[in-house]
Amino acid sequence: MLGAHCPVRTRAPEHLQFGRAPQPGHPAPAMTAHSFALPVIIFTTFWGLIGIAGPWFVPKGPNRGVTITMLVATAVCCYLFWLITILAQLNPLFGPQLKNETIWYVRFLWE
Amino acid sequence: MGSMFRSEEVALVQLFLPTSAAYTCVSQLGELGLVEFRDLNASVSAFQRRFVGDVRRCEELEKTFTFLQEEVWRAGLALHPPEGRLLAPPPRDLLRIQEETDRLARELRDVRGNQQSLRAQLHQLQLHSAVLGRGHRLPLAATPTDGLLERTPLLQPPGGPHQDLRVNFVAGAVEPAKAAALERLLWRACRGFLIASFRETEQPLEDPVTGEPATWMTFLISYWGEQIGQKIRKITDCFHCHVFPFVEQEDGRLGTLQQLQQQSQELQEVLGETERFLSQVLGRVQRLLPPWRVQIHKMKAVYLVLNQCSVSATHKCLIAEGWCAASDLPALQQVLQDSSSEAGVSAVVHRIPCRDMPPTLIRTNRFTASFQGIVDAYGVGRYQEVNPAPYTIITFPFLFAVMFGDVGHGLLMFLFALAMVLAENRPAVKTAQNEIWRTFFGGRYLLLLMGLFSVYTGFIYNECFSRATTIFPSGWSVAAMATQSGWSDAFLAEHPLLTLDPAVSGVFLGPYPFGIDPVWSLAVNHLSFLNSFKMKMSVILGVTHMTFGVVLGVFNHVHFGQWHRLLLETLPELTFLLGLFGYLVFLVVYKWLFIAAAAPAPSILIHFINMFLFSRSPTNPLLFPGQEVVQSALVVVALAAVPVLLLGTPLFLRWQHRRRSPRPAGRQLDEDKSGILDSSDASVAGWGSDEEKAGCPGDQEEAEFVLSEVLMHQAIHTIEFCLGCISNTASYLRLWALSLAHAQLSEVLWAMVMREGLRMGRELGVAAVVLVPIFAAFAVLTVAILLVMEGLSAFLHALRLHWVEFQNKFYLGSGYKLSPFTFAEEED
Repeated sequence: MLGAHCPVRTRAPEHLQFGRAPQPGHPAPAMTAHSFALPVIIFTTFWGLIGIAGPWFVPKGPNRGVTITMLVATAVCCYLFWLITILAQLNPLFGPQLKNETIWYVRFLWE
Repeated sequence: MGSMFRSEEVALVQLFLPTSAAYTCVSQLGELGLVEFRDLNASVSAFQRRFVGDVRRCEELEKTFTFLQEEVWRAGLALHPPEGRLLAPPPRDLLRIQEETDRLARELRDVRGNQQSLRAQLHQLQLHSAVLGRGHRLPLAATPTDGLLERTPLLQPPGGPHQDLRVNFVAGAVEPAKAAALERLLWRACRGFLIASFRETEQPLEDPVTGEPATWMTFLISYWGEQIGQKIRKITDCFHCHVFPFVEQEDGRLGTLQQLQQQSQELQEVLGETERFLSQVLGRVQRLLPPWRVQIHKMKAVYLVLNQCSVSATHKCLIAEGWCAASDLPALQQVLQDSSSEAGVSAVVHRIPCRDMPPTLIRTNRFTASFQGIVDAYGVGRYQEVNPAPYTIITFPFLFAVMFGDVGHGLLMFLFALAMVLAENRPAVKTAQNEIWRTFFGGRYLLLLMGLFSVYTGFIYNECFSRATTIFPSGWSVAAMATQSGWSDAFLAEHPLLTLDPAVSGVFLGPYPFGIDPVWSLAVNHLSFLNSFKMKMSVILGVTHMTFGVVLGVFNHVHFGQWHRLLLETLPELTFLLGLFGYLVFLVVYKWLFIAAAAPAPSILIHFINMFLFSRSPTNPLLFPGQEVVQSALVVVALAAVPVLLLGTPLFLRWQHRRRSPRPAGRQLDEDKSGILDSSDASVAGWGSDEEKAGCPGDQEEAEFVLSEVLMHQAIHTIEFCLGCISNTASYLRLWALSLAHAQLSEVLWAMVMREGLRMGRELGVAAVVLVPIFAAFAVLTVAILLVMEGLSAFLHALRLHWVEFQNKFYLGSGYKLSPFTFAEEED
């Protein structure tokens, strides 16, 4: 799962029609898989810029210390919270339990 | 670091004020608010101090001011606060102000007295005219003969002396409440010999004392016989009736009526004049009183401060002692020089060493003030200890947001706070008196940050008014599961609930890049996943927060030069905390990263319990090879840290004490003289080692070292820390509990209110009409329950987490604030 990349597929419009099951024999079109590395890189860079590079640009003044503290604390808290969330979903041990109506609808909607 | 990191340096200063310039100097210091004066005459009673006469005069003046103010308020006028900045007046002006005030008070009293008496007279005249002019039908005509004829069937007058049966009248007025009683009593006492008629006045008359309109009952009693007359008079006296002379003849009465009217007209003119004069006087009072009040208030404050100064031996100058911020000393010097430039000698200030703990001074602006306020509400920090406020600026809204996370609610809160912040300079908003509004307004920056972080955590929890959004496509593919497991339509119709299996290929495509996957909001078992996620998140955040608290303690130890505490307290504390709970966090993250859905997953909880019991469960697979060895080692090291924490510092201090004490007594004297620095070091160490004691370490710190006390303090600290680690980590689970409650309340509100409205009717227009009241109900309940109630609840719990779990790792909070002598806050 780590770093997995799936080829992006094009959407065929007929699959969005409600009630139309895919024909047996045709491979089910796969949804876009989410990579793990890309969000990690993006968000680490983002919060790193705010928390590590940001303090260098705070103008000198009586509030410099407080502003730097605020930037670093914000970066640490928000990054940690996001990281916990994505790590918790990285290797799920069980999946969602859906009602049959939901399955009927989502099966064709989210493709 | 900025000035909020710890308290500013505060110095004890001694001021020498020449007697002639002392008043001006102190008054200038009050305007600036630099120095907190200490009372040097604490042993002297208030009546024996030097300036007690002046203080007394100021207080008498204030009494007169209160009287004038009440008169102004009684007349329904308002006193406006004075414009501009008024200085305390020089002492010679006191006499002038006193004279003018007394004159005003006297005039006001006289005029008021006149007005009262005129009003009373007017009232009497009005009553009299009401009594006369009311047109009582006289039951008996003027001629007695007719009366006799009429009366004969009723009652035979008993005997001779009553031959003279002239009818007499008593006319008067009585309060309506007593009228019935009066009538009854008259009938009982003199029955048959009188006829009384009661009538209410048409117009209410103004009562002279209270000014309220009141109606009176006028009565006319006709009686015959002298004894009856006396009885009647006594009865009317008893009832406090106003009795007026009643002339029988109509013209006589008319004449009297005219006279009365004339008199009352004249009286009303005089009354008008009096009231005009009264309003003039009140106008003068309105103009002069507010500035005088401010000035006399300041003067009294200055004299109270001067009373705290001691007099020098030569009686030429006053000596004052006070606390002043070290950075303000040049300004203080400048002010004193300017104020005492007229006197020949200039005032001098110099710094003296202090043994007591100085007050804490942390300068804040309007943004940081509210955060410093919530830290100070728990306890003002000791002098120069680390201030938790700058970190609280971010961690408090963050922990609030973890418990409150919802984009919609956070946005509402943010907009409300933004409105307050943008309107903060409007005078209408600043002078509002409603307490609840002032509470919210004072915390507007707090609410702003809380709302902002709530929007962020709302995006991460993927909740907007309890609805999830698919900003990115979901990482779970239902179609793949359906095709792989052969979920035909018939199969689905038979099974109402089906679970997606991440082990099947193509079902789970990767973690959702930002937040919780939206498929969970459709799932029936979403709480199973969310509970596990939120509990682990709470533990991770809690351990991080507490570790940060312990690390902040390092700064305290370094600043106060207590290097031994780094090794003997911080290190064991960190070992214990990180060895046990840091390891728990490690297990959680390890399981997230490396344990997939293939085999039965190991249970962290069982591993953690077995770690302490040194046992193992055979059915619970290991997370990583060598886990048991690692766990046992960590437990041993953590438990070994406890006696180090318990005994390290007391034994070290005892060794240090023993090392210093075998010095001869003579050397100690030298040390005392030159040892201002030493004593401050020792006293600093003293502050550290006995945290619960007051700051004053006494003359020689060595003599006060008592091993049992230090040991007991350290034992308490150790037990508190170790047990606290466990209970505080569990306490952070409230982050999970409250966010669950918020999410559930939000969902219930949506499902029960809004969704019902959206489901209404397939016909065009029904839903539109029905949605208006339904949305109104949804909005009101959202604001009332979810924003206000849940907001207050999350606020409270975030506050508790800060005050107890975070601050008890490093913060003592047993200091006091520097409250300089200033007129600014006294003007409220």
